[in-house]
Parts: sequence; structure tokens; C-alpha cells
Amino acid sequence: MSVGRRSSASATARLSVLVAVLSVPIFTGVWELVARSGIVNTVLFPPPSTVAVAILEWIRSGQFFADLMASLSRVAAGFAIGAAGGIVLGVLTGRFQLVSSLLSPLFHILRPIPPIAFVPIVILWFGLSETGKLFLVVWGVFFTVWLATHIGVQKVDHGLIRAAQMLGTPQPQMLWEIVLLGALPYITVGLRTAVSISFYTLVAAELAGAFAGIVYRIEIAQQNMQTGQVMGGLAALGLLSFIADRSFATLAERAVWWR
Amino acid sequence: MTPSLLRPDQPLRLVDTYPPSAPARQAIIRVEDLSIVFDAPSGQVIAVDRVSLAVAQGEFVSIVGPSGCGKSTLLNAMAGLERPFEGQVLIAGEAMRKPRPEIGMVFQQPHLFPWKSVRRNIAHGPRALGKPKAEALRIADDLIEMIGLTGFASAYPHTLSGGMQQRVAIARALANQPRVLLMDEPFGALDAQTRAVMQDNLLELRERINATIVFVTHDIDEAILLSDRVLIMSAGPGRILKDLQVSLPRPRSSAIVAEAAYLALKRDCLDLIRSEGRRAFEQMEIRM
Repeated sequence: MSVGRRSSASATARLSVLVAVLSVPIFTGVWELVARSGIVNTVLFPPPSTVAVAILEWIRSGQFFADLMASLSRVAAGFAIGAAGGIVLGVLTGRFQLVSSLLSPLFHILRPIPPIAFVPIVILWFGLSETGKLFLVVWGVFFTVWLATHIGVQKVDHGLIRAAQMLGTPQPQMLWEIVLLGALPYITVGLRTAVSISFYTLVAAELAGAFAGIVYRIEIAQQNMQTGQVMGGLAALGLLSFIADRSFATLAERAVWWR
Repeated sequence: MTPSLLRPDQPLRLVDTYPPSAPARQAIIRVEDLSIVFDAPSGQVIAVDRVSLAVAQGEFVSIVGPSGCGKSTLLNAMAGLERPFEGQVLIAGEAMRKPRPEIGMVFQQPHLFPWKSVRRNIAHGPRALGKPKAEALRIADDLIEMIGLTGFASAYPHTLSGGMQQRVAIARALANQPRVLLMDEPFGALDAQTRAVMQDNLLELRERINATIVFVTHDIDEAILLSDRVLIMSAGPGRILKDLQVSLPRPRSSAIVAEAAYLALKRDCLDLIRSEGRRAFEQMEIRM
């Protein structure tokens, strides 16, 4: 009987793969039917075919590439600066009580404020410049990475530190090798969270006023009632952050190379 | 080319700073009136109470006692990991205030760097002390051969068994050519068979290195098998009860446990520990 059971189990598995493959096409088909059925206003709720045409037009005009580069460079630069600062300060506050006493209370007060809340003051300080957008992304990334690193450093196996001390490890090597690598599993988790956060803050940064970028394009299209373009922009943003998260997850697995 | 650390025709000498003409039984470790006090929620706890002892150059001394008797604390003080409350620890005439690379330590857990291969774990010490990479790796390769892990040089610690990991930890501690090797229940976390193999390995290893060894354990068999001298510690507060000379012939192996001289020695130890255990127990009852 076990053979029969096994074959029925594999039939279920095959069916679930088939359903998973069909998930997006079914959803798109239903959307197309509903939008064309006349129940909804196609100007506000265009069918996916209209969205696809808008996306193709966006790519053909050359604006897509410029928007993509503008958004990506903001996210990448903000992520790099925020993550580097978060890791360095996280190692210092995690390892040195005095540095922690100086900075942790301040960071814990600033950390829960959503980066979007800083948009007004960022516009006052930096106007519509790239510096202001960078500031917002850095702000969002920094605190997440700092906290993950701080906690990770404190959880580093004390035995490893003692062993390294006994072997004569000098202080800089202790910090940037033993402590940093010991905390790396925590840090990569923080970095991965920060990837999503950098996209959230990108939205705030570009809505605050920009001259190119995926979210900027969504906003312009909204003002022109180009709903297809709005949805295309959303799809592009979703795909972009999905790819960023996935590739970071792969990267993070390799980063902790000894596992 | 610098001579290899390991030459089959010659015993490995990790301590060659002492000229052969120096007195053979010179004390390298001196613990003088050492007390260590911990702050606990219930007040201060005396972990080590006015302990004095001396360990001669090249000697293998075990410290035996029940759990919580302060033997590990005493060892940590010798390592410079624990500050004395009173008294001091002198190694090679110098007070221990912080860890020194010529004092090696093996802990109960291997504490290998998980991100480093076996070879790089062992090479860590020499590299940290500023030796060139090639030399550090050569030292590591010699030690890998000595601990019988050839073929595992590029393996990562988590792929090794507990016994293999602990052998790497011993090799890592030896890579800095320590004058003193401190071992804190190094085989305590291993199963009985592996422990017996490791004890024989250590006996063999000891014939090839000249480091002074202080070995903490709660296993009397292990202490007698390995040591020249066994110090028995009492619990609460930690004091040295008895200093026993083990004059069984060397080289030894774990087969020694069936010999009469060994059994007599073990009986002495057990009697002492039993009466001490009873005293501690009664004391505890009075206190309660």
C-alpha cells in the first residue's frame, strides 16, 4: 500500500508545482477579464495589457534606464554608507562600554523615528539635492545595521575572545577579525533587513521631490492620470526590491562562508 | 631555511631558552598567597583562598577538586585572565596581569575560530605575534602532523569531531611555543573512549614538548595517569588540601590504571576527597 501512498503523495507535489506556476498567469487573467468587463473604470483600473504597453513605452523612450539608474544609485550609495557606518559604530558600542554609554541612548531615541518623518527637515536642509535623498536612505539603513551589529558583537562567544587573547592577538585584529567575524551571522541578518528599508526610504526620498527615479516616474504618471504607467512603476519597484533581497540573501549565505 | 619545528630524530623542544646547565627543578610558576573574590548577588564569594604553590620547570601538575572548588579560577589567574584580589602569580619571575603569549591555554571547549581552517586556526598565534605567513603556516603544518590530522588541514572546525577539535585547540596553543601550557578540563566534554585516546595522545605529546603543564580536572584517574604531581583542592573556599607526588614510571599509558602502585595512590586520593566532601557537606548543613 505504501507504493500507492507514495505515488499519490508525488501526484500532490506535482499538482502543487503546477498551481504555483499558474499562480501569476491566473491572477493576471482574472485582472484582465475584470478590467475589460466594464464593471470598473479602465482609466483608474487598467487591464494588465495596458500596463504592459506602458512599461514597453517607458523602456523604449529610454527613460526607464535613466530612472532605474537614478533609483539604484541612491539605494546603493545610501546602503553602502549607512551599512559601513552601522557596522563600525556597532562594533565600537558593542565592545566598549564607554562608547556604548555615550552613543546608545541617543541612537535608541533616534532609531524608532520613521525616516519618512525627516522629509520636511531634509528639504529645509538640503533642498531637492541628491544629498538629501542620500541622507534619508543612510538614516534608514544605519540604525538597523548598527543595532544588529551591536547585539551581534555582544553575543560573540566569550570563549573565542579569551582564546584569541591567550594567543596574543593585538587589539585591532581582535576587533576587526575576531569580534567582527564572530558577529557576522547577526550582521548579515541586519543588512538584509536594511536592503528592504533602503527601498522604503527611497520612496520617501523621491516623493519629496526628484528629477528622475522610479518613484518619481510613478508620481508624474499619477499627475497625468496615466494609471497604466503608475502600475508599471509599482511593478518595476516590486521586482527591483525582490531581486535585491534575493541576491542579498544569496550573498549573505556566502558571506558566512564557514557554515 | 629555519629548521623545522618537528624533526623525527629529535624530541621537539618548545622551551629552549633555559640553558641545560640551569638547575633542572627551578620553579617557573609561583603562586603566592593568592586570593580571588567574586561579587555575587548574595555578597562576596571567596573562590580561591590564600593559595600558594610552585611548579617546577618542565613539570606536569594536575589540580583536582570537585566542581566549583575554584580550580578553574586558579588556572585563569595563572593565565592572566583573572585578577588577584590578594597575592600574586609569578610566571618566569613576572607577575601575571594580563595574558601573555608564552603562556598557552586549552579550554574545556575547543573555542576554535569557526571561520578559519584547521591550518589557519593553528597559524593564528604565530601570525598574531607578527611571524611571516609562510613561517606561521609551516609551524601549523608541523603541528598538524604531530596531532595526526594530516589531511584535515583545510577542513573547517564544524566538520571535525569533538576529539579532533580539541586536538586542534592543543596544537593552536602549542604554536606559540609556550613555556607554560594551562589546560582547563580539556577532555571533560569528550566521551569516555575519546578521552582515553586523548590522554594517551597527551602523554605522547608531552615526551616531545618541554613545556610546563598545569592541568585542571575533576577526574582522579586522569590526574594520576598524566601528572608528576597532583594537587587536591577543597571546595568553599578553594584551598590546596594535599600535594601528592606521582612517582610512577614513564612513559605511561592508560594501561597503568591496573597497577598496584597506581591503585594505592588512587585510594589515598579518594579517601582524602571523601573525607573532605563529608566535611564540606556537614559545613553546609550547619550553615543552613
